[in-house]
Amino acid sequence: MTARLAPPYGLLLDRDRSIRFSFEGQPIEGYAGDTIASALAANDIWLLSRSFKYHRPRGILSMAGDDANTLVQLPDEPNVLADLHRISDGLAVTGQHYTGSLRSDGGQWIERIAKFLPVGFYYRAFHKPRGIWDFWEKRIRARAGLGTVNEAVRGRYYDKEYAFAEVAVVGAGAAGVAAAIEAARAGRQVVLIERQPILGGALNHARVDARATRGVDLAGALAEDLAAVEDRITILTDATCTGLFDDNLLAVVTGNRLIKLRAEQVVLATGAIEQPMVFANNDLPGIMMGSAAQRLLWLYAVRPGRHAVVVTVNGDGYGVALDLAEAGVTVQAIVDLRTAAAPDSRVEEAVSRRYPILQGFTVDRAIANAGGHHLAGVDLVPAEKDDMATPARRHIACDLLCMAVGWAPAASLAAHAGAAVTYDETANSFTVADLPPTIHATGALAGIWNTDDAIAHGRHTGRRAAGSHGEPTAKTDAAQLSVSAPFPCSETGDGKAFVDFDEDLTPEDIRNSIAEGFDHIELLKRFSTVGMGPSQGRQSVTNALRLLCRETGQAIQESQGWTNRPPAFPEKIGQLAGRGFDPVRKTPMHDRHLEAGAGMMVAGNWLRPVGYGSNLSEAAIAEARAVRNGVGLIDVSTLGGIDLRGPDVVEFLNRLYTMDYTKQPVGRGRYALMCDMTGTVMDDGVACRMAQDHFYVTATTGNSDGVYRSMLQWNAQWRLEVDIANMTGAFAAVNIAGPQSRKVLGPLCEGIDLSAAGFPYMAVGEASVAGMPARIMRVGFVGELGYEIHVPAGYGEALWDALTDAGRPYHCRPFGVEAQRILRLEKGHIIIGQDTDGLTHPHEAGMGWAIGKRKPFFVGKRAIDIQMARGLERVLVGFTLPPQTAVLPEECHLVFKGEDIVGRVTSIVRSPTLGQPIGMAYTAPDRAEPGMPILIKGPMGRYIQGTVAALPFYDPENRRQAG
Amino acid sequence: MSSAVPVDPTQYSRRSFVYRRLRDAGAVFADCGDTAIADGYPGRGGLPSRMALIDLSPLPRIGFKGPQTLEWLSRQAVTIPARNNRAERQTDGALAIRLADTEVTILGDIDSRDNTVSRLENRPPAGGCYPVPRRDSHVWFVLCGGKAPACLQKLCGVDLRIGRFEDLAVAQTSLARLSAQIVRQDHGNVPTFHILADSASALYLWDVLVDAMDEYLGGLAGRSALRALRETRG
Repeated sequence: MTARLAPPYGLLLDRDRSIRFSFEGQPIEGYAGDTIASALAANDIWLLSRSFKYHRPRGILSMAGDDANTLVQLPDEPNVLADLHRISDGLAVTGQHYTGSLRSDGGQWIERIAKFLPVGFYYRAFHKPRGIWDFWEKRIRARAGLGTVNEAVRGRYYDKEYAFAEVAVVGAGAAGVAAAIEAARAGRQVVLIERQPILGGALNHARVDARATRGVDLAGALAEDLAAVEDRITILTDATCTGLFDDNLLAVVTGNRLIKLRAEQVVLATGAIEQPMVFANNDLPGIMMGSAAQRLLWLYAVRPGRHAVVVTVNGDGYGVALDLAEAGVTVQAIVDLRTAAAPDSRVEEAVSRRYPILQGFTVDRAIANAGGHHLAGVDLVPAEKDDMATPARRHIACDLLCMAVGWAPAASLAAHAGAAVTYDETANSFTVADLPPTIHATGALAGIWNTDDAIAHGRHTGRRAAGSHGEPTAKTDAAQLSVSAPFPCSETGDGKAFVDFDEDLTPEDIRNSIAEGFDHIELLKRFSTVGMGPSQGRQSVTNALRLLCRETGQAIQESQGWTNRPPAFPEKIGQLAGRGFDPVRKTPMHDRHLEAGAGMMVAGNWLRPVGYGSNLSEAAIAEARAVRNGVGLIDVSTLGGIDLRGPDVVEFLNRLYTMDYTKQPVGRGRYALMCDMTGTVMDDGVACRMAQDHFYVTATTGNSDGVYRSMLQWNAQWRLEVDIANMTGAFAAVNIAGPQSRKVLGPLCEGIDLSAAGFPYMAVGEASVAGMPARIMRVGFVGELGYEIHVPAGYGEALWDALTDAGRPYHCRPFGVEAQRILRLEKGHIIIGQDTDGLTHPHEAGMGWAIGKRKPFFVGKRAIDIQMARGLERVLVGFTLPPQTAVLPEECHLVFKGEDIVGRVTSIVRSPTLGQPIGMAYTAPDRAEPGMPILIKGPMGRYIQGTVAALPFYDPENRRQAG
Repeated sequence: MSSAVPVDPTQYSRRSFVYRRLRDAGAVFADCGDTAIADGYPGRGGLPSRMALIDLSPLPRIGFKGPQTLEWLSRQAVTIPARNNRAERQTDGALAIRLADTEVTILGDIDSRDNTVSRLENRPPAGGCYPVPRRDSHVWFVLCGGKAPACLQKLCGVDLRIGRFEDLAVAQTSLARLSAQIVRQDHGNVPTFHILADSASALYLWDVLVDAMDEYLGGLAGRSALRALRETRG
């Protein structure tokens, strides 16, 4: 590790733990705590990746995850920020977006034809002829892109967490920590969120004074204060706040978790982002922010170069030079764009150490080494073109250029909260104002650049967030108002100068866009794509706005950047998705079904057996035959069950359902058909009168919650004295059906005479089945003698076992949904939602018999009356197909009358009982008489002719179910 | 309390909604009237120090709905919480949970002794108050331990922190996208949360909770651990 420094450098490193990983197949060694970028830099590897458009070599720029120059590829993950992602043993890292090798990228030729590829060229070049974009898109995307998604990677475990705070502080730099301390001292529960692995922010790496002691002292004092209130502060490090939403909801990403943090008060101490300078070849590896060089030194013990030039407009740049020199780097020059530096102890120290200082100069261009992969020197020119007093062009050899030409507040989250983020010519930067009352800004975000001032302001802000009031602290002294250059752009040198590194955009691209008419910052962004890359303009918006205003003559004072929207930092799709919560309901007999070889299907939010066996189609036939000829069991626990109790229960039912329940005796069930206000059929079931003021109403599996909600909604209007209790999960239910069902159930049942006379069709009652309390209903959905037995859910499995055991002498077998569909179709019973749709009213479905004609009102009655007055446009009929029909139509295949579509098939099966295909379909009313032909457009567009048949197909005299 | 005689849960007609999960995890079941309850997990000690998940579904509980519910229950000597979304301990160990002006759920004592629930079950309410079978409609899990609030925060959007969601507070909310009632009833100084949710989703919820508490080194425990907690710290 040739560039590694000895302690005290390397605050984040654990030098006792070596980590081995690889980069581009080359073994690399680093320390625990290293990021990919720092470990590579320690090994003198500075070329990390290639740029988006021109495949230019790129390396460390911010060392803070604020740029896209360090995006690398991991086997399982593309576009990983190498300056944030920590190394781990065995990690295999490669650069991304190159052809051939990272060092010798075959894609670099694209830059040679750059003048033919002006910004937005593809909007026009690939517009016509139609379809040409489809051809070029693949090629363009292959050339201009980022990393590669590994589609073979299995999903990782991600989850979410809800969190709450009285005060949330985003950013744990000096001001943020101070704010958190004061809020906690005031008794508030505080959550402190920091993107870096340690607290302190710039105190950990920046030099705030000449002797580099002040920062240490301040950090020590804050740490002491923090320890005293640590029980009231939850500290989240390696946690990034990516968005600030309404009502102070913060999205915080940490590891594989997304935290949804709700805070009463929010303190934003997100700091500032150091801004780049624009000059020719400003993207060469070896050119980085001054703060990046300091991070490499102090956090990762990496010497960022051997011969350095620092270009600056503030004391921070002089601090960088002091740090570099003390770390053994030769400071070739401090290039100050100003003709005279403002008073600053760091400036004075640099002068006293006799560093070469060039006042009034700027960087004209950077020059690459022989391989073109790293900085070899810079050309300097006078900062002001008409500055005749300054000597002319100079060349300085260097392998490190640190840019310290200004800062922009990290204002994304403030902007999410609705703050006005506008340019201030006094500060030469953006400023933040008009935050909502419960959101506060402090530190550099609030324009406080002096560390002592920032801490004082942070403390005050923390107290305000905690509810204390007081005079705001003095903001800062005038000398600290501006730390930024007004226009750090030099375009005289040869080579491409970049305003936006993500998208390889130059000042010329910006000017061309403006010339095209995109002369507003929002339009400029969309046309040129400036700021639309992974770093979202964090290092491009300031210079882009400066260029725009200079080019158009617009006033820059109070100009806004483009709209900031969440996320402020990249989020993974997995983090957004979190852990998949997909509630599924299982009946108490679920495991018994699996043990019996059931194939399961989703029905509503339940799992139900389709059938039992490896071949479900054959199983359905066999199961249907078993029910017709012997006895079968089906788990119907999924049916909705609703208890309606109270003195107005009959009135309630009469209003809600189409039939009349006034005279229904206790101990009897009656069909229940529900419509909505438009007369559309919504649901059906059976209303069982358990007592004078108590009905137990069943509903379909998929619609039971809807029926329950509908009941609650209607009764909120009607205010009848009726209590509605959803019992769906409270009961397990089994339908035992078939001619032998009475023989199976009889010996188990106590309390009810199950004989035909004692318990006739549609009788209901309470009894004991195998010692379990049960509600029993004599129903016949499948057209055979049958009983539904409802027991408390805890007994469900035992009921199934008891019936299975009792049925064994009768070859009783379980049957699933598919067999039930066959059986009910043979019997001509409809399934709501399958044989009806969102427009079906009862008469269309042949359910006119289920309407109480003397009732003055039920939900949907008026609409049904109007529809009937207009006449039917379609009716549901049964039909048969010839037994030899080889390929059957499918559900939803169309029914024709001549060339007109008049309906569709709703159900169709090959009936094992009748030996021919049977179905239901909508057709024209004048084609609905039994014996009429019905024309169906079947598979592959072939017409199939069937015959309309009377319903039911099976046992029309109802002898079997009434037996 | 002497150690219970192990029983097979399938020898009872009434079974816990998750008895197979508990059995597979090594639970030893004990008789609790008409069913069996997971009493403990041999070899795992008592209550895991950080968090424990316990199935109390087999225990008695009952609900009442209707406009006369509060009045009728008061007449039956049930102490009703003064306001909605609060719970009240009963003298016999039961817990009355007031969900609305018209709805109350009563959780029985963990020892399933003859208590408020059985007393109410045998006394049909008058008009305007209707029993609801919460023992069958709702699963009853308990999550207890210092890390329980943090674990629940991964599943629920309600602020369940100890300082905010105090003892005997009730939240009717969504837990892992499932409608649920969460009731805090500390046992001594150990935060304890009753979770009542759709019984048909019991397996789903159990698996979600087991998964969620894994991060906090939580474990399964039986009724005896909760009983010991109550007796030693309560």
